[in-house]
Amino acid sequence: MLRQIEGSRAVAEAVALCRPEVICAYPITPQTHIVEALGFKVKSGTLRPCEFLNVESEFAAMSVAIGASAAGARTYTATASQGLLYMSEAVYNAAGLGLPIVMTVANRAIGAPINIWNDHSDAMSQRDAGWIQLYAETAQEALDLHLQAFRIAEELSVPVMVCMDGFLLTHAYERAEIPIAEQVDMFLPRYQPRQVLDPAQPASIGAMVGPEAFTEVRYLSHARESRALDLIPDVVAEFGKVFGRDSGGLVRGYHLDDAETVIVALGSVLGTIKDTVDELRADGMRIGVLGVTTFRPFPAQAVCDALAIGRPTKRLVVLERAFATGLGGIVSADLRMALAGDRAAALHPPVMSTVVAGLGGRPITRASLRNMLHDAAAGALEPLSFLDLDKDLVQVQLQAGRAG
Amino acid sequence: MNKPFAITLDVGSSRANKTGSWRTERPVYTDRLPPCNNACPAGENIQQWLYQAEDGAEGGYEAAWRQIMADNPLPAVMGRVCYRPCETACNRAQLDEAVGINSVERFLGDEAIKQGWTVPVDATPSGKRVLVVGCGPSGLSAAYHLTRLGHAVTIRDANDRPGGMMRFGIPQYRLPRGVLDAEIERILAMGVTLELKSTVHDGEALLKEFDAVFVAAGAHIGRRAYIPAGDSARILDAVSLLHGVEEDEPPLLGRRVAVYGGGNTAMDAARTARRLGASEAVVVYRRTRDRMPAHDVEVREALDEGVTMRWLSTVARADGGRLLIEKMQLDDAGFPQPTGEFTELAADSLVLALGQNADLSVLEGVSGITFDDGGVQVSPDLMTGHPGIFAGGDMVPGERTVTVAIGHGKKAARSIDAWLRGTSASHQPRHDLAPFGDLNTWYYEDAPVTVRPELEAARRVSTFDEVVGGLDRATALYEARRCLSCGNCFECDNCYGVCPDNAVIKLGPGQRYEIDYAYCKGCGMCVTECPSGAITMEPEET
Repeated sequence: MLRQIEGSRAVAEAVALCRPEVICAYPITPQTHIVEALGFKVKSGTLRPCEFLNVESEFAAMSVAIGASAAGARTYTATASQGLLYMSEAVYNAAGLGLPIVMTVANRAIGAPINIWNDHSDAMSQRDAGWIQLYAETAQEALDLHLQAFRIAEELSVPVMVCMDGFLLTHAYERAEIPIAEQVDMFLPRYQPRQVLDPAQPASIGAMVGPEAFTEVRYLSHARESRALDLIPDVVAEFGKVFGRDSGGLVRGYHLDDAETVIVALGSVLGTIKDTVDELRADGMRIGVLGVTTFRPFPAQAVCDALAIGRPTKRLVVLERAFATGLGGIVSADLRMALAGDRAAALHPPVMSTVVAGLGGRPITRASLRNMLHDAAAGALEPLSFLDLDKDLVQVQLQAGRAG
Repeated sequence: MNKPFAITLDVGSSRANKTGSWRTERPVYTDRLPPCNNACPAGENIQQWLYQAEDGAEGGYEAAWRQIMADNPLPAVMGRVCYRPCETACNRAQLDEAVGINSVERFLGDEAIKQGWTVPVDATPSGKRVLVVGCGPSGLSAAYHLTRLGHAVTIRDANDRPGGMMRFGIPQYRLPRGVLDAEIERILAMGVTLELKSTVHDGEALLKEFDAVFVAAGAHIGRRAYIPAGDSARILDAVSLLHGVEEDEPPLLGRRVAVYGGGNTAMDAARTARRLGASEAVVVYRRTRDRMPAHDVEVREALDEGVTMRWLSTVARADGGRLLIEKMQLDDAGFPQPTGEFTELAADSLVLALGQNADLSVLEGVSGITFDDGGVQVSPDLMTGHPGIFAGGDMVPGERTVTVAIGHGKKAARSIDAWLRGTSASHQPRHDLAPFGDLNTWYYEDAPVTVRPELEAARRVSTFDEVVGGLDRATALYEARRCLSCGNCFECDNCYGVCPDNAVIKLGPGQRYEIDYAYCKGCGMCVTECPSGAITMEPEET
């Protein structure tokens, strides 16, 4: 059913349709509306059987999720920002134990100074935790990715983080197609845990493992997570059959066929970027867009295939809503790693620029993007730049700092 | 099942790591002596029977009563007339108010009478015969314990009814005679022979008839003081007054009665005078209230009933209808000194309550026996200088209360038993006292003391009905549960709960706990968190 709906509500509808058996969450902006809506559904009896647990912290939320998932329940939670950091230890544990938990991260900046607005610092901080990370471009895609997330997580026994931009996607009202239960049930089979706990056959889970086996454990985690790169296209195909929509996937190209300049990005900013690209193409610029939906595991092959470096892509602009302090772009680094193994890229090394944009909720405007992309096409973009940086202000501060 | 590699493992256990070897100190469960038990002259295990009473009507009350009966055969009497040194000592007094031990004891005593509980005599008869002289609390207590130890006991008493001072000294409004009779009858029914109106003279000759003798003839001779008196002055002593009332032959006192003295007997005499119709009952005492030997509760109850007090006063002369009173002044040492100032007090009679002397006639002339301070000298085992003759109660120097007398009876019985068997009474070493500071009081619930109902004052002065009421099943249970179980485990599971090593093993209801020293690291959390201070840390031997 097509509805004009708040992104959080849309996600809550999707999660409810997945029939989770345990939901545990601790409120934090901008994630709260999702679990609030789910709480209403459990309390009112429209979502059952389902246990909704109010917990005392995010650490407890993920710990409960681990316990519930290990016990064989389809388990969901959601968080953001410092909440994600606070549960971080348990986030790693969930992945290490191979528990197919699905968690929404309503992306928000990390303090200090405290900031409730959107960027990707929180999810990026957990990129190596062993979770699959999917980034939604629209409320519809956020909804769809949750349906896919349970399917992927349970098939691989790997937890999945669905990242959606705080406020931009969680709080904005968009048109979204809400599926019906029969469709979801057809797409998402009942959860069959990798192992069933049986009191008659006691086992210990996650106990001490020494150097003799730890490397192998990690290797196997990497291998299992990497299988998502094969699985996700299949899931997307099946999703299309059931729901009649093309949604999710590893990467999505936009006007890549003749693009000499390609802008790479994640999340909701892709909409603004595409609008800008439309304008620039109307001006005659050969430019395209590569949206990365699956960031973990990193779809290196899919990225290389999509970019077709040298045929004709010559220039890459990576727009990032987070960055590694003291280094630069996080996505850019992964991209370099991917291109390093690409024969075409070795023959025709592309010019790569990292543009850090939209930190702490700063709007990314079409005007700013146009100027930046013109610079890029003219070869005038620095390897690392910050979109709309108040250069005068930082100069003053830097000089004041040196003087002190 | 296809187990994930190195994530799901076989059931191993950290028990392979015997962390007990890290320990430098070890927790040890102890039993400390609760202050109530320490203070009880009858040697009752109060903390234990309060704990048993917490099980309530499901066998708890009977078990508690039987625990009392191990030491004291007169719980219903003691639950009324004991001056409660246990409650004075009770640690809970430092928290809110002392546990109402006495009221619970009374409830249990009354419950036993109501239910007809009895104590079996299952000892093998020893073939020994013991004579008890005096059927007061001390004699009854000794007879009870000696019977339970297998000896044949005869009590001889000069009065026509048993009970001694419990009957002839304590007024009915404090101790109803139905209660007294029931508890005495229960002892006699165990096979004790009672010979009343039987005055004993030659103590030494008795040893030909009996294997041992316990003399507890009491102190019922009212002490007289020389008071110049006119012919028409009416002077009598408190012992005679109380005895006369019990014999239903109360002496004529008149409308205005003065009682001379400041002890409990003086209070009893004044309150009895009020009940006999005196509109004025004045206690004349040479010192001040805080120096009165009478217990505070007795003074309060007397004042409630309209008894008045003349502090710092002595009776200088008595004439018909009036007393000459000399005002006194305390010197630096707290002794009253005459001031030469006189006033008059209108009084139709003067009751002397100046203390009682022991009746020592039965022991006079017996070889080896010595007297001191108006009493018989005895060894710590209560044997007199004459082998086989023991003495206790008010006859021996010391505090004179029913409770002390009952304790003497028990002690004498054990000593006599040992002497008859040619051994010496065994004394178990006393545990260290359980101090208030060892308690974690915040673990206990707030629970104010239960107030016993009292007959309103207007009703009291016209009858000899019992003044203080008892507890019912609910309030007795509540009161028993106020006990903090000082220094003794009450199986609250705190240690079991706080142990980070799961090294506290529950042994089952009533069996307490055990420390698993193979794993106990000696962190001491159980000791710190024990509400009752029943665990201590001891250095590990190296």
